[in-house]
Amino acid sequence: MPTNNRAMKNKTLLIISREYLTRIQKKSFIIITILMPILLVAMIVLPALLIVMNEQKQYSRILVVDESEVFINNFTDNDHYEFSYRSGDIEQIKNEAFDQDYDVVLQILSNSQGVRSNIYYRKNLPSGLQSEVENQMDDIFFNQLLKDSLHIEPARYENIQKLAKAESTTIQIDEKGAEKEHDAEVNQIFGMMCGIIIYFIIILFASQVLRGVLEEKSNRIVEVLLSSVKPTQLLVGKIVGIAMVGLTQLVIWAALSGAILLGIQLAAPDLFRPDTMETIAETPGVNLPNTASIDVAPDNIFTMIQNYFAVSFGVIIFSFVFFFIVGYLIYSTLYAATGSVVDNESDSQQYTMPITIPLILAIVFVPSIATNPDGTLAFWLSMIPLTSPIAMMVRLPSGVPAWELFLSMGLALAFLVFSIWFAAKIYRIGIMTYGKKPSWKTIFRWLREK
Amino acid sequence: MNIIDVQDITKCYGDFKALDSVSLSVPQGCVFGLLGPNGAGKTTLIRILMRISAPDNGQVLFKGHPMVADDVYDMGYLPEERGLYKKMKTGEQAMYLARLKGLDRQEAYTRLREKFEQFGMMDWWNKPVEELSKGMQQKVQFITTILHKPSFLILDEPFSGFDPINANLLKVEVLKLKEEGTTIVLSTHNMASVEEICDHIALINRSRKILEGDIFEVKNRFKKNLFSVETTDVSNTLLHQLENQQYQVCSQHTNKFYTRLEIKIPDTRTSNDLLQLFMQYAEIHAFNEIMPTMNEIFIEQVERANQQPSHEE
Repeated sequence: MPTNNRAMKNKTLLIISREYLTRIQKKSFIIITILMPILLVAMIVLPALLIVMNEQKQYSRILVVDESEVFINNFTDNDHYEFSYRSGDIEQIKNEAFDQDYDVVLQILSNSQGVRSNIYYRKNLPSGLQSEVENQMDDIFFNQLLKDSLHIEPARYENIQKLAKAESTTIQIDEKGAEKEHDAEVNQIFGMMCGIIIYFIIILFASQVLRGVLEEKSNRIVEVLLSSVKPTQLLVGKIVGIAMVGLTQLVIWAALSGAILLGIQLAAPDLFRPDTMETIAETPGVNLPNTASIDVAPDNIFTMIQNYFAVSFGVIIFSFVFFFIVGYLIYSTLYAATGSVVDNESDSQQYTMPITIPLILAIVFVPSIATNPDGTLAFWLSMIPLTSPIAMMVRLPSGVPAWELFLSMGLALAFLVFSIWFAAKIYRIGIMTYGKKPSWKTIFRWLREK
Repeated sequence: MNIIDVQDITKCYGDFKALDSVSLSVPQGCVFGLLGPNGAGKTTLIRILMRISAPDNGQVLFKGHPMVADDVYDMGYLPEERGLYKKMKTGEQAMYLARLKGLDRQEAYTRLREKFEQFGMMDWWNKPVEELSKGMQQKVQFITTILHKPSFLILDEPFSGFDPINANLLKVEVLKLKEEGTTIVLSTHNMASVEEICDHIALINRSRKILEGDIFEVKNRFKKNLFSVETTDVSNTLLHQLENQQYQVCSQHTNKFYTRLEIKIPDTRTSNDLLQLFMQYAEIHAFNEIMPTMNEIFIEQVERANQQPSHEE
């Protein structure tokens, strides 16, 4: 007969490998694992691609009919817009212009209040044309006023404007007095991304633990299993097995996304020029990091963000892995306990509520934490174990004192020990209790049972 | 020698006492019927025997020593509520369950192939369990329960869900295991199968054991001195004599060939007295004692126990 210890270890390994293998062999796993990076990359690349394609296509010829005579010959042609001027009856010009291959007729009216204009077009108005025209008109009009009313030459004004501009750089000083220039905005965005990724990982994989526990309970295989193994082995096997599925998926996602991005960059180097990214960031409806503030021309998309953290990249990676694992373990043990208590998935919501609320709170407060990473709210959310995996990751790129990071990690670990104990107690009884949904009182009684 | 000694076990769930000072012994090598109405505490007892839950009080001896964790390798359990992973392939799943019981991969594979052949299930090896019929799934469950050749086996309602042919196949398997020396605890409501295959029984009612013993000894204990006599001619003189000597005729049936009488013998007389009386008046074709069925004993004992007020009430 095998020794107790060895047999126990082997069986836990056996359970882990079943949980792992059955999941990664599923069609849904394979499809999601392959599709996700493609979608992710598409989300980044498509807007850039659209803008590049737009740039190539868009060229507008504008016919200016200026009644104020302020703007005649003052518009500036560029790659996208060509201005021509004509005077006469607007109705007649409108009738002729579109046949003469003009895209737009710009009518400028003047009265005592200022300048008004009408933009006439057929079919579609080229995007960006209106703002281009307005911007140019503002400048021309402004310069005109400078000259006529204030008697200042526009060139002189430009010099004054340059002189009067104050620029600032954010520099963080660490405990040793070393200075590091970084960009608060990039840190915020990176932190938010980390927090959101952790949130999705927890939601995705911890709920798989819940479903797994529920599956074993509702198809009644659990009693067969429990005649061979201890409930804790079953629980540990499931949680570790699913964690490994999660890690596998993350590694594949990271590798695939990286490979695809790299491939696209090699195939179309223009796509990631800073100005393209800038245009994307400025396009309404596209919520990409505002890269306008990055004025270093990056030769590689990966190095683009790397230089801008207040904390070393190693610390961030380590903390990410730590909070990924600990956060997942805390939530999956609690979810497992929930899964063992109920008979079907719809009943589980009543019990997951107290666990899920902190998670939702954390994700709701992500923007506030990101904009004020040293505030009271950010501090406490990054200390409370149920919210800290998300909150701390949001704060971290902006810089967090070492003691706060260690305290947060310590508290999370301590809570993990508690949640494992709690879940094991609930699970071993809940898994064999069918029928009536137990009250909270009953559940707390289970904690005391032998 | 007993393979299992349950000593004074009590188990409570909150305020509910599921088992109340239950003691019983399962002799080595027998088929032991664990009987009782629904909710009597059988499943609780079985779970304690399988170390799935721990008793609040008392202990279980396995082969004479207090039971330890490793003893489960020498035990097999087919629960009443049994299931399998629906999406998992049948063979793979059977391998998994066998290996959880401590068999190594090679041994599990060899034994499973053999059993699958025997039960005519090789075609299903690579099919997911959800494509199997219920009876087929039951077979898989039974196979995985006995695959590691445990010396102690608990079968909870093993026959439910089986058609008569498969039920018989299972019965033959159980008796074969018994011959090979396996001790089997059979928990069932099917009294006919208890009569057929059990050697010992224990009856649990309302968390207490109310009856235990060898099946013949139990039947003997509850017999009512009832005898059945088949004769050709029942004369009025005979009936008169029976009445005079305080024999009680409980029933009388006549078919084409015989008349069958059921007679209760008073404590003052023996079966030989009755036989002698008959020999004087009629030709006897058959004479035998009517033993109570397990069904009758079950109903009678449970009803009697339920009429007595229990401690708490």
